[in-house]
Amino acid sequence: MKIDPSFIWTALVQLLSAIPTTLVITAVSVTAGFVIGLITALLRIYKVPVLGQIATGYVTFIRGTPMLTHLLLIYFGLPMLLDALSAQFGWGFKSSSIPMIGFAFISFSITAGAYMAEVIRSGLLAVNRGQLEAAYSVGMTTPQALRRIVFPQALAVSLPNLSNSVIGMLHGSTLAFTVSVVEINAKAQIVASTNWKFFEAYLAAAVIFWGLTLLIERITAVIEKRINLYNRGGVA
Amino acid sequence: MIKLTHISKSFGRHQVLKQIDLTVEKGEVVVILGPSGSGKTTLLRCVNYLEKPSDGEIAIGDYRLSCKHASKKDIHQLRQKSAMVFQQYNLFKHKTALENVMEGLVVVKKLPKEEAKTRSIALLEKVGLGSKLDAYPSQLSGGQQQRVGIARALALEPEVILFDEPTSALDPELVGEVLAVIRKIAKEGITMIVVTHEMGFARDVANHVVFMDGGVIVEEGPPAELFNHPKEERTKQFLKRITPELNYSI
Repeated sequence: MKIDPSFIWTALVQLLSAIPTTLVITAVSVTAGFVIGLITALLRIYKVPVLGQIATGYVTFIRGTPMLTHLLLIYFGLPMLLDALSAQFGWGFKSSSIPMIGFAFISFSITAGAYMAEVIRSGLLAVNRGQLEAAYSVGMTTPQALRRIVFPQALAVSLPNLSNSVIGMLHGSTLAFTVSVVEINAKAQIVASTNWKFFEAYLAAAVIFWGLTLLIERITAVIEKRINLYNRGGVA
Repeated sequence: MIKLTHISKSFGRHQVLKQIDLTVEKGEVVVILGPSGSGKTTLLRCVNYLEKPSDGEIAIGDYRLSCKHASKKDIHQLRQKSAMVFQQYNLFKHKTALENVMEGLVVVKKLPKEEAKTRSIALLEKVGLGSKLDAYPSQLSGGQQQRVGIARALALEPEVILFDEPTSALDPELVGEVLAVIRKIAKEGITMIVVTHEMGFARDVANHVVFMDGGVIVEEGPPAELFNHPKEERTKQFLKRITPELNYSI
């Protein structure tokens, strides 16, 4: 068994075509996950009756089960549910019309939401109560105070952990292969299946993932620098 | 005019305020004194509903609110009548000095940005911080931060400014600059309620001094009277402890 360095390059070039799929899955799951996470965090912090408990249950269940399991549950469960509802109400909708990547979007958003809920919650709790009181004292309503005073500060605190979540979702997107979505890792497998040079192909995939991760780290660093202007950290 | 009627407040089973009545005339400076735990800060925070009174009535200007039936909208209305200067300054950490003062004007009073800016700059100059407009709170000293806090409160042109121990968190050297600013605006006839331990300030600036202990107003009156001829035993004890140079006969 010998390594074929030139095939690493060949594979790398072929894998480029799968990058958009990976990025779209990551972007959708992170964006939707952020919204779900924000709502979940607020429901828990404000201890909203019923919804707060549901939010807590959601976080516990999702964090307590693997991401792959979420994908499989959605992939097999959602069509059953939708078809049953469709038949009940005569929507004329068939679950087979959902594109495969749709299952990845839904399930990964649910996964990301639970992890991000905790990140955002910790960020919100890190904002001093005095900030909210000051906002009230100048006459702001609670939504104004949250939007203008609390969220920007919470976001700044959460940023390093949020970038962790983004990277986690980037790497997690490889699981989409199990529902036949061809992202970078799946593409590597396909590329290698013609000549069995799996090691070279996966090495190429690793290089691309590393590159994308570096990019995310760079972008985070730039944002962090911008929104943390006001902060003089406790350590540095 | 501010009128508090039968204000009560309990934290669990512990009653912190017991049916407090207090009237503050327009343009008056009222200083509230008392040992820690006497309820003075809680009373102040009740005036703008940072603490929710269990019972009583708050009237500021022509706005009247019964604490038992206050809706969110009522509370929002009431809060716009007052402004607060906090012990820990509580400047918006992610905003510059100028943005801190502008925030309420733009978001709450809906002033055009340019007008809000002009007004805010004038106020920051008034408190001696014309050169620190673009500084973040973390770049300012405690005294400077508190002066921004005062400018932020002034900007709203409230019926009353509430000061919650505005100098207690400051280095002794910085107390003077903040008190000087408060004296200056007191002279301009702005209604103020001040919780403080600065006896000199209370003597010189207050029109009316209130001594609280155990959730009730023990004694109140003009500063000359209250400081020189306190009637109640509890007041004498307190004043003797914090101003030992004054010898009261107990």
